[in-house]
Amino acid sequence: MTFRFRRSCSRSRRCGASVEAVLRALAGLAWLSAAASGQAFSQRGFVEFRNFAYPQTAPGDSGRLVSEQLLRWEATLRLNSWLQLNAGADARFDSHRQFERAWRLDWADRRKQRPALSVRRLSLLAHRGGFTFEGGRQFIRWGKTDILNPTDRFAPKDFLNVLTTDFLGVTALRATWERGGETLDVVVQPVFTPSRTPLLNQRWAALPEEARQFTLLEAPVRYPGRAATGARWNHVGDGYELSLSFYDGYNHLPVYSARLAPLPAPAVVFERIHPQMRMYGADAAVPTRWLTLKGEAAYFTSNSPLADNYVLYVIQAERQRGEWLFVGGYAGEAVTERRVQIDFAPDRGLAKTFLGRASYNIDTNRSVAVEGAVRQNGNGFYGKFEYTQAVGTHWRVTLAANLLRGSAEDFLGQYRRNSNLMVVLRYSF
Amino acid sequence: MSRLLAAVLSCAAWAQAQDARAIIEESQRRARSGSQRYEGTLEVIDARRKVSTKRWVYERLGSAGNSKAVLRFTAPPEVKGVALLIHNYPDRASDQWMWTPAVQRERRIAFQDRRTRFFGTDFTFEDLEERDVDRSTYRMLGEEAIAGEPCWKIESTPRPEARSQYTRLYVWIRKADYVAAQIDGYGRDKVVRRIRYSDIQNVQKIWTARRIEVEDMTRNSRTVLKLEKLEYDVSLPAELFTLQALRRER
Repeated sequence: MTFRFRRSCSRSRRCGASVEAVLRALAGLAWLSAAASGQAFSQRGFVEFRNFAYPQTAPGDSGRLVSEQLLRWEATLRLNSWLQLNAGADARFDSHRQFERAWRLDWADRRKQRPALSVRRLSLLAHRGGFTFEGGRQFIRWGKTDILNPTDRFAPKDFLNVLTTDFLGVTALRATWERGGETLDVVVQPVFTPSRTPLLNQRWAALPEEARQFTLLEAPVRYPGRAATGARWNHVGDGYELSLSFYDGYNHLPVYSARLAPLPAPAVVFERIHPQMRMYGADAAVPTRWLTLKGEAAYFTSNSPLADNYVLYVIQAERQRGEWLFVGGYAGEAVTERRVQIDFAPDRGLAKTFLGRASYNIDTNRSVAVEGAVRQNGNGFYGKFEYTQAVGTHWRVTLAANLLRGSAEDFLGQYRRNSNLMVVLRYSF
Repeated sequence: MSRLLAAVLSCAAWAQAQDARAIIEESQRRARSGSQRYEGTLEVIDARRKVSTKRWVYERLGSAGNSKAVLRFTAPPEVKGVALLIHNYPDRASDQWMWTPAVQRERRIAFQDRRTRFFGTDFTFEDLEERDVDRSTYRMLGEEAIAGEPCWKIESTPRPEARSQYTRLYVWIRKADYVAAQIDGYGRDKVVRRIRYSDIQNVQKIWTARRIEVEDMTRNSRTVLKLEKLEYDVSLPAELFTLQALRRER
């Protein structure tokens, strides 16, 4: 098993490198041809200054003030009526060693730290009639619910801050065929992109106190080699919408194996593993006169001895009333075969939880929102209050207070020392 | 005698209602087009006289309750790329999806409450809907000039099934070209929203108001929508009005 894993991994690197080379060449050609023909170009982006103040220190992390800066740029170049090039890049800086102090352009975006400079998106998109093809680094989002998306398997995230996450692009080929109310989506992802997990020496890792008595080491990660594939059929019917989806690949969220290395000094060595995963999913939305009902469910199986077989589901209702928007629901889980010992799974961590959000638009520039999550056994709680205001044409200020409470054994409760105040200043261009 | 008088009055009222309805129908018929495209500039002036500007591109294919439309914001920068896809049906509520570039996903939305303001403007979603003639009853109130133009003044009362935010509307239709000049929307007995149509021009044989001003009397704010680069019956392929097109973010 281990041998096969290693061999496929090495093949994957070659495969991934050649895919990237082809895509880069395609992008370069597209850029040159567009420059020559002077086609339509549009761009947008923002500079964001995100600052957190934590009233409490956390084990292994005494930092109370964390500041993150992000410059994001996104552009679209229309080469002709059926072909366009999408590009996006991030540049980062922060006060808390969350980004890598290496000034190179990162394509794969799968290191432990955030890259200082990264390609967020670089893809060629072609469409003709009802057929759309996109190849390259892109975002693929599945699912219909808003509070949790069990079927969203091609959407790894950056969880360095578990409450304030961001999607990571994936290198994939995506073909979509659409006719009337039917859409068929087929995806092949040859290069694996994992979710970025909290850094072991920072507060969002929330390791047990006993583990901190040892030196913590992380073994080099072996990424899966085989391509992930998936398909989704979506049907827009008379007053409802329904999808069925299938995914065969690897979980972008890891499980861990841990071993004690007694020499030269006692240390716990963690190995991050992304287990094989197969998903059978469905989602639906039914707008009614009073509420919009949305639901999503997925059954996950794995051949890995370290991963569970389980069902994750979400039911959600939303209602718009004047300037108010209410969204509430429940995320549930049923484990059919339990094998996991240590994992990092925020999706499953939010299962068996009631979730809700209420937002109110004060006027065209200002809004407030309250959101919360309560575990059904009462062992974990998350609450957020947010006020946001646009200032002029380009600036927006957001003030938020996040409260986390609960027991150390609970996914939300383990972060009980991470309640924080957040100030975000964004300049959009 | 009194029965005869009542019958005559009833007939007169019926005929008047028919006239009023016929005028509304004619107004809608004249405005009908197979497709439409414009670039809209919105100025929202709040109660403190602060002005914020939004810009969008609007494309519609089909008409009269059987249409598809896409609206894409182009400014200000923070909403650039946000798009709304609407599929209108004659026999049921519309399907609506919103595309938000920040999350790279379309989101099925449903505005159960049509009083909801449209993206922070003074237009409500109901104000922007195509009005179905059969969903209201009509009464001719007389003639009145708006901005110097002779108009018919018609009272329109939404039927209960229309679930309108308004108890009644007063509609002024210009006699010269059947274009609406003003609409006053009433909530119980007072005007809550006033829509004024001006800068009326003949665009490809369709008389169209290029400037629409809506005033929210309860909030003391107003929004001005200007239609630029307006075109009718422009060639718009059906594939532009799909979820895939929404994702393509033109």
